[in-house]
Amino acid sequence: MSSNLIQNYIASKPQQNPIKQDMPDFNIQHELDNRTFIKPLTGSGELLSGNIFSSPKQFSDSFVYKMKALKHAAKGKANDHELGKINDIGLVAGGLAIATYLFTKRTTNMTKGMEFIGLGSFLASMALWPVLAIQLPAYLIHGVNVKKKYKDSFGRVKPFYQDPQFIPWDLYSDKEINKIGDRLGVPKNIPNRRDFIQEKMKKIAVQNNTLWMLTAGFATPIMSALICNMSEPYLLKHIDEKQNKKADKILSNLEDYSKKYKDNAVTKDIETVIKNHSGAPINKEIQDLVFEAFTRDMDAVSAESFRKDLTKLLSDGKYSVNEESAKEIITNLKTQFAGKDFSKEFLEAAIPSEEEIINLLNENELLGKSLKPVEFVKVSNAVVNKIAIKVHLYNAAHVDDAENMQYIRKLILNNKSEEHPIIKALLKRQSSVLNEDLAQKLKNLAGIFDNFRAKNFALDEYALIKTGAAPETVIANYWNKVSNDFLKTLGVKQKELEKVRFDENLMGELLRDKIEKIVSDEKSYNRVMTSLAESIASINKKLKPSDITSHMLSDNVNKTAYETAVDSIFENFATQLRESGFERTARAIAGNGEDAFGTYRAIQKAFAEERILGVKSSFYRLLNTLDFYHRVANDPNGLKSINGATIAREVKEELIELCKIITLSGHSSDFATKFYMKRNPHPNLEDMSPIEITAGKVKNKYFGKATQTTDIPNDKYFYQNAMNYMFGGEMSPETKAILDKFMIGDEVAKYRQLVFKNIGGEKYFYKPRHRVANTNASSNIKFLLTGISPQELFFKSGQQLFNTKKWLSIFGKFGAGLLGITVLAQFFFGHMKVPKGGKNA
Amino acid sequence: MYISSNNVSFSANKKDKNLEYNHDTLLKNNLATRTRMNIDKFTNAITVYPAKGITGNKNANFYEFLTMGIFPYITGSATLMAVFNYAGKHYAPFQKVMSAQTGNKLALGVLFYGIMKSFSKSFISTPVKALTGIDTERPYAKVIYELPDDINDTDIVSIEHHKVFESVEFPRWDLLYGDETKGQKRNYRYDKIAKKLGLGENLNDSDQEVKPKIKEIVVKSSLAKNISSYFWAACGVGLAFQKPWEKYFNVMTFKFWKGKEFLKSLKSFGNSFVESAKEFYKGEGKGIQKHAGKILLGIAALSSILGVINSVSGAKKPTDNVFKKGGTNYEF
Repeated sequence: MSSNLIQNYIASKPQQNPIKQDMPDFNIQHELDNRTFIKPLTGSGELLSGNIFSSPKQFSDSFVYKMKALKHAAKGKANDHELGKINDIGLVAGGLAIATYLFTKRTTNMTKGMEFIGLGSFLASMALWPVLAIQLPAYLIHGVNVKKKYKDSFGRVKPFYQDPQFIPWDLYSDKEINKIGDRLGVPKNIPNRRDFIQEKMKKIAVQNNTLWMLTAGFATPIMSALICNMSEPYLLKHIDEKQNKKADKILSNLEDYSKKYKDNAVTKDIETVIKNHSGAPINKEIQDLVFEAFTRDMDAVSAESFRKDLTKLLSDGKYSVNEESAKEIITNLKTQFAGKDFSKEFLEAAIPSEEEIINLLNENELLGKSLKPVEFVKVSNAVVNKIAIKVHLYNAAHVDDAENMQYIRKLILNNKSEEHPIIKALLKRQSSVLNEDLAQKLKNLAGIFDNFRAKNFALDEYALIKTGAAPETVIANYWNKVSNDFLKTLGVKQKELEKVRFDENLMGELLRDKIEKIVSDEKSYNRVMTSLAESIASINKKLKPSDITSHMLSDNVNKTAYETAVDSIFENFATQLRESGFERTARAIAGNGEDAFGTYRAIQKAFAEERILGVKSSFYRLLNTLDFYHRVANDPNGLKSINGATIAREVKEELIELCKIITLSGHSSDFATKFYMKRNPHPNLEDMSPIEITAGKVKNKYFGKATQTTDIPNDKYFYQNAMNYMFGGEMSPETKAILDKFMIGDEVAKYRQLVFKNIGGEKYFYKPRHRVANTNASSNIKFLLTGISPQELFFKSGQQLFNTKKWLSIFGKFGAGLLGITVLAQFFFGHMKVPKGGKNA
Repeated sequence: MYISSNNVSFSANKKDKNLEYNHDTLLKNNLATRTRMNIDKFTNAITVYPAKGITGNKNANFYEFLTMGIFPYITGSATLMAVFNYAGKHYAPFQKVMSAQTGNKLALGVLFYGIMKSFSKSFISTPVKALTGIDTERPYAKVIYELPDDINDTDIVSIEHHKVFESVEFPRWDLLYGDETKGQKRNYRYDKIAKKLGLGENLNDSDQEVKPKIKEIVVKSSLAKNISSYFWAACGVGLAFQKPWEKYFNVMTFKFWKGKEFLKSLKSFGNSFVESAKEFYKGEGKGIQKHAGKILLGIAALSSILGVINSVSGAKKPTDNVFKKGGTNYEF
């Protein structure tokens, strides 16, 4: 037999003989009239009405309640309900802590922003899933709000079905319950209908709450990730616009904006040097400290010029001779003689003592004087003569061990200044000191540098935001968007990407097929070219040519706003430097007037210009590729630009194939080596029949059929024809019209000319005559003009697009499936056997 | 009418069913009990309770619903990892590696989040127990009598694992009284707390003296646990997102039967843990970026310290009796 508390109590209770007393009669009316017993309090709870989504008022009430709960808990006076709410506060606070920490670890605005969107979407998903997948379908299917809330007598809002064992049914009136029962299809004539409806509602609620627990874990991360995925383009667009506006603001308000960077770092460092070394002779340490303070952000070339100017400022060209010099001379002499096989006795006898040197300098009226380097010889001669006397005396006393005086002289005198034991010691002590006058000059110069640095940083920021080779700059965002648009415009499908995504050449083939199909139909060509041109031309809205541009691609010789700002800041700085005697530095930084080649100023401009050239070249190359394929498809025999009528069909086939490959996938090395191609060395020159085109593709009669093929290095015309065909001749009128419509016709034409002249003019030792121009462009320019090949561009963006779509497909399907199952399951909920007298509901 | 106590039993019949407890029983708060309780809760949360809930069983209750909370935590963690890892197998090799790195860090983050959140609660409960003698985490086994499904259903008893102070409004004071039949003093647990709280020894009604104070301390420490555990969990995530873990991911294996590789993996985990902890603390870059780890750790530590201080601060001064008229929770 088991025992329990009551039994224990009964068992352990002292046994007493009960005194029997008659119970008084109980008169209910009497008790009620006199209110002699305690009645339970009247319940004052209420069901909360409203739709399934929380209203802003409910949200704010809930927030206020949580704050009050926090206050009560801190004082130790919170109740269970309030403590439950504090968990919500902890969850959000912890989530914010994670997002903020990861925010600091991210480097770009987009990734930083996504940390908070991630947190927000996670919390939103936690709240939305039970509403959308549980509450709403349950209501629509059964007419029961399984997340109904009520306010209890203490004003605490609680879920109605929170504890299935304690549901406050009395808050529902009979009318309301019966209405729900009707919706549930409960027969009207059954006994205890209300009880049955309540049981059914409870069952539906319990089942749905369990379903919520079972599905929320799968649903929340997926919903959250999908929300993040959908939010990403909007956030990126917002950040991009904000960044772009910020950059425009910097340029138009450079003077004010640069104050942000005015940290006066140079002035502070110089003031520290002055404070620590005021009145001290300028030695190497001080020189280095001053140099480091001024050149903290300077490039090495300009810094070298600055050092020369600085040395001139810090030195009056003279050096002090004092007792310290005497000590230094002795030390240097000892070092110089050490390890030279002299006896200890000789060294002691030959090297003068400090006192002797001081006396010597005194006798020669050199001590305490300031000497120019040319006068160092006086000190040197005096010391060497003294040593000679001492050596002579030693030799006289040690005839057998006499030392060679000539050798000793050479040991001292045959040295460069920086290794000469006497001159080296003298050079250490410049006679100029860090006096007030010099300190003031340095402070003024520091002010000039601080101003320049601040403005230069502002210029850097502008150039970086607009054109930087970094994630999320304006040009990088443009690149990503346009690349992704291309794939969509060309109609590349996910299944196609899946097959070619690991191999660039396969991607090239897919791309070629797509382009050939598009160019075969004039309507689709116009659509695609219009879309691409519009997309590519959008860069001129973000990077206004009047603000910042690549002059190589435009005929505009006027300075852009950025160049004007750069010139103004650098020239102003140079003027101030010149006024301070820093001519070399001024030249290294800003050049001379318009002659700024190789200067810091030129680099400041070139950085942005070259980035724009590189990006535009890649996209213009794509437009040219499309146009080339279009020309081949529409005029394969005319080959207008190269007088194709006189070329044999087999050679024409080879030429078209080469040009198709090069425009699509040619790299800088292919251009530099003048297009290596295995051709038939003995083509049929008799066959002048026209090329046949089917669906944009050449129907080759000869190409690919020759058994022995080789590159033909002495056929310069083949190369020249290829360059003319691809870049030299006119674009098709259809293309020109579209490009002109989007105001990029001239720039694309200029790009083609630049490639033709600069790359076509490149000399290759193996094929020296394979040239179409006589220009000698830098490898940098050739690299920028070649840009990225369309094949490589599509390969990279294709992989990215595939990954994104694949992810969406996997988790989108999973999410949809989960939602479907969750909703479907609810149709089977709430099934109960109807009591006798009714049908199953 | 007199009813014989032999005929009425509010206890489970131990003989009928192989039950561990036949009435609500106070349990020791030690590792063995906690482990057993957690295993029991976990097993029920993924088997019995969902089965009862999804069929709408009339005995399903709030405890079961709350215990089932572990289910979305586990499935959610796994799904979160899958979100970053699963699609990776379709990516190109380099992108796959990059995606896996993020995925692995996230998986580790989920793991550390759970560990730190759970473990950090002891940062509050242990010092509070040491300073006040109150074990805010003291567990007990509750015997539940369910409604029979039908007339033949005799299996109507189930055990739930609760904590004595999980409800501050209705703590299980009764379980803390000593069993006088076993020679224990009725108030011996309350006496100990009273002594720790400085209320004196040999009090006539130590239980009545300390109950309001216990309530106050339980509420305050509950607040501290709820807030600080999330900050510690955030530290766990921060730790998981450090670069040195990438070295571990390169050699990571769970194939314990491959002794050498598994040992190498374990060793790498240890080294990466130490290096990551250092990097998390030291940080890199400058400004807030460098000190973010320290700040987060500082906030977590501060929340625990302040939590403990607040929990014990009012313990040694007279407390408002919550039962008196005008008290916070009850009005009579």
